[in-house]
Amino acid sequence: MGLGLIGFYVGFVLLALIRSAAGIDDAWGGEVNIVGGYILGVLGWLMGIGMWGMWSREWFGLKTYRRDLPGWQRYFTFNTDHKVIGIQYLVAFICVFLLAGLIALLMRLELASSGLQFLSTSQYNGAMGLHGILMIAVAVAAVVGGAGNYAVPLLIGADDMAFPRLNALTFWLIPPVAVTLMATPFLGGIETGWTAYPPLSTTTNSSQILFDLAIITFGLTSILGGLNFLVTIIYMRAPGMTWGRLPIFVWSMFVTSWMALLFTQGFAVALLMVILDRVAGMAFFKQEAGGDPLLYQHVFWFYSHPAVYIMVLPGFGLALEIISHFSRKPLFAYRYAVGAFLGILGLSGVVWAHHMFTSGMPNYLHGPFLVATELISIPTGLIFLSALGTIWMGKLWLQTPMLFALAVIFNFACGGVTGIFLADVPTDIHLHDTYFVVAHFHYTIVGGEIFALFAGIYYWFPKMTGRMYDERLAKLHFWWMFIGFNLTFFTMHLPGIKGMNRRIADFPSSLDNLNLLVSLNGFLLGASFLVFMYNIINSWIRGPVAESNPWRARTLEWQVSSPPPHENFPERPVIKGHPYDYGVPGSVHSVFPGVSGAPAGGGK
Amino acid sequence: MGQGASRLQRRHVILAGILWAVLTAIGWLLVVADLYPTVGSDEAEDFDDIFRFLLILGVPVFTFVVSAVIYAMFAFRVRGSVPTEDGPVMRGHGWFPRVWLAVTGGLAVFVMVYPGLTGLAELQSDRRAYGWGERDAEVIIQATAFKWQWLFQYPDGTTVSVAAGKELVLPVDTSIRFDVQAADVVHSLWIPAFRLKIDAIPGRTTYMTVKPTKEGAYETDQAYRVQCAELCGLDHAKMLFPIRVVSQAEYESWLASMKQGGN
Repeated sequence: MGLGLIGFYVGFVLLALIRSAAGIDDAWGGEVNIVGGYILGVLGWLMGIGMWGMWSREWFGLKTYRRDLPGWQRYFTFNTDHKVIGIQYLVAFICVFLLAGLIALLMRLELASSGLQFLSTSQYNGAMGLHGILMIAVAVAAVVGGAGNYAVPLLIGADDMAFPRLNALTFWLIPPVAVTLMATPFLGGIETGWTAYPPLSTTTNSSQILFDLAIITFGLTSILGGLNFLVTIIYMRAPGMTWGRLPIFVWSMFVTSWMALLFTQGFAVALLMVILDRVAGMAFFKQEAGGDPLLYQHVFWFYSHPAVYIMVLPGFGLALEIISHFSRKPLFAYRYAVGAFLGILGLSGVVWAHHMFTSGMPNYLHGPFLVATELISIPTGLIFLSALGTIWMGKLWLQTPMLFALAVIFNFACGGVTGIFLADVPTDIHLHDTYFVVAHFHYTIVGGEIFALFAGIYYWFPKMTGRMYDERLAKLHFWWMFIGFNLTFFTMHLPGIKGMNRRIADFPSSLDNLNLLVSLNGFLLGASFLVFMYNIINSWIRGPVAESNPWRARTLEWQVSSPPPHENFPERPVIKGHPYDYGVPGSVHSVFPGVSGAPAGGGK
Repeated sequence: MGQGASRLQRRHVILAGILWAVLTAIGWLLVVADLYPTVGSDEAEDFDDIFRFLLILGVPVFTFVVSAVIYAMFAFRVRGSVPTEDGPVMRGHGWFPRVWLAVTGGLAVFVMVYPGLTGLAELQSDRRAYGWGERDAEVIIQATAFKWQWLFQYPDGTTVSVAAGKELVLPVDTSIRFDVQAADVVHSLWIPAFRLKIDAIPGRTTYMTVKPTKEGAYETDQAYRVQCAELCGLDHAKMLFPIRVVSQAEYESWLASMKQGGN
């Protein structure tokens, strides 16, 4: 941390000196100094946290050294074990989620009635912007970085990711991002929302530069992580694990990683252009100098639309995975589900301007984007085909992971249907930028992905910690969260249709009752997480010891101890069949030749 | 699966189907509910009709999923601490996924065309323009958005803003085109009673043409307002301007009085 601070000040001073040498006025007061300081600060931080000793030394021909701390201390070091990194991601992002949730409760407290109660417009806007970007970060990184990192190598029979040090790097880039974002309320606030549209973002006198730098860094973790998953999944599958036998969660991670690799640059470059407009006198978005604010929106949404699929597809994959194991049936229409993921990948890149129907872009763009957006509902529907076909006539074991997985299907069905109202331009014109949109994306992202995140946490908790959580408390958490969530966000559609737009601290008084209802239910939802935190912390410390396969599931991670040994598989597994062939006589997913020759993960 | 199994399967399908019908009937109550602001214009009527149509189609889609999940949770659950047997092997290779794909594909294409593209065609008169509705209008009002209020200029030169006039007076049953510009950052002109919005972008003029059909005013109906609908900084929440829709005669006399008042 010290190295990070030193780096920041060195960078800051360096740039100020360069600028004063070049004869620029106010050489010490420009935002470009912050840019220089930030870059060197992040480098200093990374080196100090362990990247220097464990990796960078070898760039200079020096020997690297490992530092393997025991127990809980590992989680605070540059540790390259994917299992450690997965847990680091999960814990870090659950903390961010809860913090951003508190901010949301602050917002709902203010919005419980019209008029400004205790927040100024500036404080509200800043809180809203921070809530938005923190939750976007959670949605992009929690399942992918947390569950993905932990489970993918285990599910494919690998001993780690393809690039373990790169993996650790992506996690340790997160603290500077978090610190920078958390600094914004004290340095002017995020005035523009997470979407940062210019000219507001290029002219605002707030903490915009911090936002831009943090997001570019965060995007880097997404891109590098995507690369890591792709190489791992392509090259490190155990012998016998053909693409047709890949667990569906791994398929969803594979597709998601393509999107992360290919599209994240859009957000980074859009914000880079904002930075250049701000500090380098460029005019990408200055119409008086030949620029166009709409350019930003196109580049931004080019990433930010695929981003929502980056958020939701691992959620779908996780839900389907859990549904199959807890229905004791093969995943119904597995090939269609895989096709669905690939179809969504293909279409995700050509629908972005449905976020811009009322933006004043030329009229001829609306038709094609409407068509492409409607088409995405078809592969999405195939995910539902797979889920519903799997639970139908199954032997449903309604433990908490399964309840959350089923809730994903329920919630996203609602969110997906409301998406149609937004994809159709005639209705979108009124609904754009209203609380109808806010309700829609909370249904899809929270209802779809965050519920899946909790499904994954409960599902893999015994594997990760070696202890079992309390099932009754977990069910309490589920029902409380499910009911609170649906009451809050279903109601939220109504003020949107009635004429309440987004990102406002104050609204017409005729909408008082609806907003009060949303706020009260929001607090109900927020309270459910207290049950979760108590259960998880208590069970982690002193829950009953978990067996290696509490769920009697067939996939590879359940064939090793809880938690797994450092190298994951003492003996490399050989894949002999499909992961979900429950009920198929004599079928076996994997064997461990050499241990005892006995099949593991077999059917009954 | 034997005969007994298919009969069991059929019973499940019928019971789940009944649940679907019941939930859909309840969901369709939304179609007749008054969810909307005042219907203040032709465009608002169109919006409400299309919204209700999409609800009629969307509710059964949602309740289909919900009824399948709820039915399964009751009919197929296993009690006990550990599963003791597996379910039937249903791969989903046969006709069912293909029928599903055909039905969902057909529905998507249908909704895309009607009311999607058909509605779009009615709203867009000119492919190369930036805005909604016909370019020809009886009254053309220049709207300028700036941080954090509005300025409107009528054809005869009258301007209204928070400093002068304090409300946007519009004649009923007349087509009105707003030519929208932004002085500083991106804003958006939205009138909930009319269900139309168009962004105000520095560097171009966007437009929207509306035909108000019902008299009303902000003090009795908050849907009659111009609301900025794109985050524009500090006082975005306060960037609203009252509207009053009046008869043609009242409109003309108001214009005359504004002229007399030196506007």
